[in-house]
Amino acid sequence: MMKVNVKCFSQVQYALGQTELLVELENGSKASDLEKLIRIRAKGKLDDVSLRVAINKNYVNEDTELKDSDEVAFIPPVQGG
Amino acid sequence: MIKVEIIRDPVKLFTINDDRKEDGAELVFNGRVRNMERGKEIIALEYEQYEGMAELELKEIAQRTCKKFPIKDLFCRHRIGIINVGEISLHVVIWSKHRREGLEAMNWFISELKKHVPIWKWAIMIDNTRVPSECKH
Repeated sequence: MMKVNVKCFSQVQYALGQTELLVELENGSKASDLEKLIRIRAKGKLDDVSLRVAINKNYVNEDTELKDSDEVAFIPPVQGG
Repeated sequence: MIKVEIIRDPVKLFTINDDRKEDGAELVFNGRVRNMERGKEIIALEYEQYEGMAELELKEIAQRTCKKFPIKDLFCRHRIGIINVGEISLHVVIWSKHRREGLEAMNWFISELKKHVPIWKWAIMIDNTRVPSECKH
């Protein structure tokens, strides 16, 4: 098993009520597996929200395999400016 | 030269002077906080960033802008934290030889910023409640 730190922003933070959380996953889990877990925890509040994934502060593909201690963020549509 | 900063204090404008001899165009963009959100009046927006990643992305977009368009200098300050209605959240200055490439570069840079830089807005409503902004402009 491995643990990853999930950073929560904007709609994800609003849906989960947390700014970050520690999640335990099976070795070999992908970002897409973690996204499914996050969406389940959000109980439907993220159903209409598209999310991009960043690992260790870089945008990556959802098929990217996670490693122990990774920092993961599911990025809702951004709104800078 | 590229200068990119994410700051918490009120935006100070970049120094503009008459020293430039090769650039015929100087574009200044200031984005300000509007007073309406979801059709309701607000008192401020709170800008939240993914610390570390936001500045990296902003710098990368500035570099791509300077490669895509014939411009040498792009300066950008993005404020985060609570910004009251009417205050500046984004300040960008681009210098270019001619106006066309400067205008195109400014438009492209801001569009890319709004697609990729992990910064979000929370609306502070009149009753002080804080809700994720729905603004996508």
